[in-house]
Amino acid sequence: MNSKKLFIGSIMTLAVLILVFSLLPRTRQGTTENLFVDDLSQDACTVIMVAKNASVDGSTIATHTCDCGVCDWTWRHVDAADHKPGEMRKIYHINQYKTWPPQEGLKWDLYQNDFTGLEIPEVPHTYAYHHGMFGYMNEQQLGIGESTIGCVKKLYNNTPTPAFDITMLTLIAMERCRTAREAIQLMGSLAEKYGYGYNDGGEMLAVHDPNEIWVFEIMPVGPLWTPKSGKPGAVWCAERVPDDHVSVCPNESRIGEIDLKNKDYHMASAHVVSFAVENGLYDPKSGKSFSWKRAYSPAEGSATSTQGRRGRLWRFFNIVASSLNINPDTPDMDYPFSAKPDKKISVQDVMNMTRDRAQGTLFDRVKGLRGGPFGNPNYYGTTRTISSPTVEYTTITQCRGWLPGPIGGITWLSFGLQDTSCYMPLYAGITDVPASFKIGDHWVLNRDSARWAFDYVDFHTQVAYNAAIEDVKKAQAEWEAKAVAGIGEIDKQALELYNKSKTEGIAYLDGYCLTNADNVVKAWWKLGDDLLVRYNKLSYYDTEKRTRERNKPAYPDWWKKAIKVYDAILEPEEK
Amino acid sequence: MKAFRNFLAVISFLLLILFSSSVPAQAAVPKAKLPILTTSAGQSNDVTTVNIVLEEAGLGYDYCDVPDIDMLKAGVGLADKESGPGFHAEVNTDLAKYPKGTPYQTVIFAVGASLKGMGASGLTIETEEARLKRIIDYCKQNKICIMAVHVGGTALRGAPGSDNERMIDAVMPFADYIIVTKDSNKDGRFTTIAKSKNIPLTEIDFALDLVGIMKQVFQ
Repeated sequence: MNSKKLFIGSIMTLAVLILVFSLLPRTRQGTTENLFVDDLSQDACTVIMVAKNASVDGSTIATHTCDCGVCDWTWRHVDAADHKPGEMRKIYHINQYKTWPPQEGLKWDLYQNDFTGLEIPEVPHTYAYHHGMFGYMNEQQLGIGESTIGCVKKLYNNTPTPAFDITMLTLIAMERCRTAREAIQLMGSLAEKYGYGYNDGGEMLAVHDPNEIWVFEIMPVGPLWTPKSGKPGAVWCAERVPDDHVSVCPNESRIGEIDLKNKDYHMASAHVVSFAVENGLYDPKSGKSFSWKRAYSPAEGSATSTQGRRGRLWRFFNIVASSLNINPDTPDMDYPFSAKPDKKISVQDVMNMTRDRAQGTLFDRVKGLRGGPFGNPNYYGTTRTISSPTVEYTTITQCRGWLPGPIGGITWLSFGLQDTSCYMPLYAGITDVPASFKIGDHWVLNRDSARWAFDYVDFHTQVAYNAAIEDVKKAQAEWEAKAVAGIGEIDKQALELYNKSKTEGIAYLDGYCLTNADNVVKAWWKLGDDLLVRYNKLSYYDTEKRTRERNKPAYPDWWKKAIKVYDAILEPEEK
Repeated sequence: MKAFRNFLAVISFLLLILFSSSVPAQAAVPKAKLPILTTSAGQSNDVTTVNIVLEEAGLGYDYCDVPDIDMLKAGVGLADKESGPGFHAEVNTDLAKYPKGTPYQTVIFAVGASLKGMGASGLTIETEEARLKRIIDYCKQNKICIMAVHVGGTALRGAPGSDNERMIDAVMPFADYIIVTKDSNKDGRFTTIAKSKNIPLTEIDFALDLVGIMKQVFQ
């Protein structure tokens, strides 16, 4: 090709590109500015909820993708305890996001330095539970997942006056409650009495037990609230997911109109409507019914208008109920609260959903040039998918009513990015969590910290993603899929022992969960090593044959063409 | 008689302790003038608290999260700048009394660092410090009253050199009046700054207490 032809070709290509770029904002995402104006809470956690008759096995299921990027990922087990009359429970301010350097200590010791000054009467007996950033599962099969939803700006109360943050509420619920309804009533009443906010604003919790799963949403009531005012220090609302439905919360309020006479499906603080009216958030004269989300946590936009930043809501319904054929232009505020899935959902389906990158959709992160030559979904991040690189860990809490609490409740836990991680079961009855789950932070590599094993694999997967991820999938099949398939046998063995002796049943679960977790962590360190060797210098080494694949990496033709086009446009031939 | 003298001595001692601990924390409320500009030092959400307090007190104000001296120079109305990504501006001043362009007489800083807030505004701790220094220098040169408020408690405090402490260092020593919640001042840091710089300081229990103070200040 001579230089004149190349020049003309370049001009034409450039013209086409300019035309495409000039059309994109109008046809797809509104203004490009919309990509970046979202509150950062939009990058936070996703909760998926499955009610008992919507799941394959009759369990209730909730997720929490703990998306943060700079937060503490460590876990703790809290033992059950008996308390004497007159004992008091200290309430602490706990910042979800705060971490401490390892040399200063661990978060779940240091948070006790921020005592609020409030002590509430202890109950005679508190239940055992596991917690990370929030309380997740207690021995009674109370499960929780969390998503930050934000609230109307004037309602934030970031002063230290309110005693409760969302984390503390979940810990108290774990200690004291057996059912979702009990937990919602307790958290709501404590927040009303002692105030809610400080480190948190509008928050959503999925609260579930073996029978029901509820969406609980809570807001502070503004910075001028004091306990002396005699007014509630929080406003909250809860709606139950119908038993044959699934639902989702992607950092957006999900509760719309409420019917407080229907107590099996709605609960709320007594002033839920009057407070909105007093604060100009709802006008009864408008002729419109009161909507919780439109009053307290309105969110603008749709999946398309935000170029996928608000795409998780659409994507969830697209996966589980594609028959609804929801248009991605639908404003998020107009989505249904829940839906009946096209097929019943298994815990493995939920694991797969947490790994979703909107593949094959309008918001596919690897379409076109986005993923580079190796189809890496982490390169080009405009679309916010359910799986996010900022995730600290993901929980899938599962409550199974046909089993005793300590065996029926399971927290499936994966550390780091879901597509390169592995879910490990932690039964509700186990009396500790693995030592490697209790330590580590983002800033110091720690080979004793489980999370770093998964980051180690994730890091080495990025080099040649589309090849390396297949190796990771093999390891997931070996460790995760087998654990899922084998859980029935573990249940059976544990139940037999438990019926003879609770202590023996629990000891069996301790042995299984801690050994499995340790084995998975070891396997992931080895997998990371193997990936490093195999994809070293991108030569795809075969350690058994002691060869390397000379034809690797096989860059796809479209990638080679893309480079030529780029060179022609931006690096014209120099003579 | 001796018993009475002892009683008086004890009472005097107790009063001395009481006043020696409370006087620095409860200095006479100084006076300041309208119009007001509210802003953040560190981009925490606490400036919203200050704005709500002013509204509750019936006081108009202009607000900008990241003003620079060009906006201070422009006076009331913030040069008609409109909010956009990472930038918020509101004009709530009574324009009938203080038309656009009227020089601000008071700047209120809500002090507290938020990585989230700074990230949203495209700031780093260093650029935020530099911006604050420019504003404070301008205020000092133009005799604009600086009020510094810290109502975020321990969540907006930290180890020496941390972002929150750097924000405190950037603003508090240059303030004409400091108001902090007791939770914020558990270690007495604000009291120490106030004493060393001879700045009146008021400690409050709740943000609600700010409402009455603002009414007094701008009476």
